[in-house]
Amino acid sequence: MSFKIARSEGILLAIIAAYCAAVAVINPAFLNIDTLFDLIRTSSRDLILVMGLLLIMLSGGIDISFMAMALVGSYCATWLMMKIGWQSAAVLIPCAMLISTIMGLCNACLVSWLKLPAFIITLGTMNLFHGLMATLVGTRTFGGGILPPSFSAFGSATLFEIEGEYGAVGLTVSIIPVIIVVVLTWFIIYKTMLGRGIVAIGNDENSAIRLGFKPLYLRLFAYGYIGALAGLAGSIYICQVNAVYPDKMIGEELMVVAGAVIGGTSISGGKGKIFGAILGVIIIYLLKSTLIFLGLSASWNNFFVGIILVLSLSFTAWQEKVRNDRHLLFKVESR
Amino acid sequence: MKNTLVKSVCACAVALSTAAVGTTAAYAAEDSDITVVMIVKQSDPWFDDMTLGIEKLKEDLGINVYVQTPVSGDPSQQISIMENLISQKVDAICVVPNDPRALIPTIKKAREAGIKVVTHEAPDIADSVDLDVEAFRNEDFGKLYGDFLGEAMGGSGQYAGFVGGLTMTTHMAWYNAAVEQIKAKYPDMENISAEPYEDKNSLDQAYSRTVEILKAYPKIKGFFDCSVHGSAIAQALKDKKRTDVKVVSLAMPSTSANYLKDGSIYKGLAWRPADAGYATAYAAYLLVKGDGVASGTDLKAPGYEKVEVDNGIAYGYAPLVFTADNISDYNY
Repeated sequence: MSFKIARSEGILLAIIAAYCAAVAVINPAFLNIDTLFDLIRTSSRDLILVMGLLLIMLSGGIDISFMAMALVGSYCATWLMMKIGWQSAAVLIPCAMLISTIMGLCNACLVSWLKLPAFIITLGTMNLFHGLMATLVGTRTFGGGILPPSFSAFGSATLFEIEGEYGAVGLTVSIIPVIIVVVLTWFIIYKTMLGRGIVAIGNDENSAIRLGFKPLYLRLFAYGYIGALAGLAGSIYICQVNAVYPDKMIGEELMVVAGAVIGGTSISGGKGKIFGAILGVIIIYLLKSTLIFLGLSASWNNFFVGIILVLSLSFTAWQEKVRNDRHLLFKVESR
Repeated sequence: MKNTLVKSVCACAVALSTAAVGTTAAYAAEDSDITVVMIVKQSDPWFDDMTLGIEKLKEDLGINVYVQTPVSGDPSQQISIMENLISQKVDAICVVPNDPRALIPTIKKAREAGIKVVTHEAPDIADSVDLDVEAFRNEDFGKLYGDFLGEAMGGSGQYAGFVGGLTMTTHMAWYNAAVEQIKAKYPDMENISAEPYEDKNSLDQAYSRTVEILKAYPKIKGFFDCSVHGSAIAQALKDKKRTDVKVVSLAMPSTSANYLKDGSIYKGLAWRPADAGYATAYAAYLLVKGDGVASGTDLKAPGYEKVEVDNGIAYGYAPLVFTADNISDYNY
């Protein structure tokens, strides 16, 4: 495994650089270390999630219930902590991860046994998990006034701060879990048999079985892994916003899927790169956070993000096609 | 049980005798026979406070008034509760609709059955109900944002306004009134955007937008937020150490108390759910009694002493202003 940057990722980097340059020309205030630090803070939840999603998509599956798992895991963990009276954010994270992992394992079992498209199953479990939470645990909102202070202390904590001309600039501590998860995911995919197996069932399940891989175990791991990451990401998110709502996060899953796909992860499985997925998520957050610099008003938001997404998707798809064409022995011209 | 039986027999007798004498009250001559039911949206701190108001009304009047709470914020649950109440033949139903238009057919059915229907926070369907009760005119409430932001900023500097979403008519009415008020009263203040920013009713969106605005418009001196997520604006300002920037926001004690106390929100605007519930149910009581509600009627709750009735909507003037000093007195 070398760290050579693949062509598709190079293109994404070029798109990012060109876009940043364009924004900076219109509004020089954009070129500031501040922008980078804020981008890292706001995107850390989705950077963690996309690593789990990448593993799932490599296995040829998909999981769209991860936002529900993030919400339910962090909500239930908070609720439990408020009941018992525990105060530390250090307890929140393992609790949330445990709850979400259980949900992830349920997904894996259903996907393996029902043999239905994972999209449909996780669409169902997304509602199931959220519904179970609403009926069994409740739908109360925990505002910043009643949450343990350690939550917001963790969410707002910085590794270091620079005093800028207009206010302070700090690098969020949530970059640490992001880096750990990225390195761990890289290790799993490229350095373990587990990772090779997941890629193998994503490419061709029958061949993988003949090679001796056990799809059930591999799926249990992949779906459990995204569950654990969802618990972690959800905990970071609620600490950052310093409030726990019973209905947030759900509905934002497709943007993370879009990030993975822009980053070159194949929907049909077996193909995907860590660096690409990271760049995909960064592009989306970059787009969402530059409208104000460009002086565009809120009603442009969706239109603008949509256009850029479609453009960058078409670009990566076109690249793919060019590359595939090179492998063809002959080509039938269509009329 | 026996007691209530005796009571109801007596009540029937009284009702019959009054009917026989031919007075105006055809039924429900005694206050204790009047049943008014309030259907809220869901169980949360806001509606729990509203329930307190209803309980106080029950004490004050001695009528049979209580609250029904759907399990979740789903319009179909409000409909099925209403259907039940129609078959129980209650005297009046008060409802805070989740989705006002979805309730219209059921409201029609209730009114055909002779039940008075009073809504709260549903001015759009005022022509389908007996009365809609509002805490204030949106224009009046919006002006307060302008007044307080101007006051906090000393009448000059750049500012920005947020709404939950551009399609939320109430927020837009507040926003427009606030901007108009600032234009008229503080001409030196400058709105940085022709349109409000959207916080999508989410704290992280409010936070991110604020951080961007601070970079793109470093000279900004004030924010106002028509949704309750202005606490995230205050959090962003605190994280960026921009304590020179003022915030006025819709506020709830449970989410905004800390920010009001440390001054990162200058003033919080709200209205009291308990009072709104009290006034709404009291209006229903007056309608059942046949007294009617007209301009000048006193609905007995603070801010609703002299409502203005306009096209089937009774407007109070009950804005509640939270400051560092009074926020601890409230709990919803």
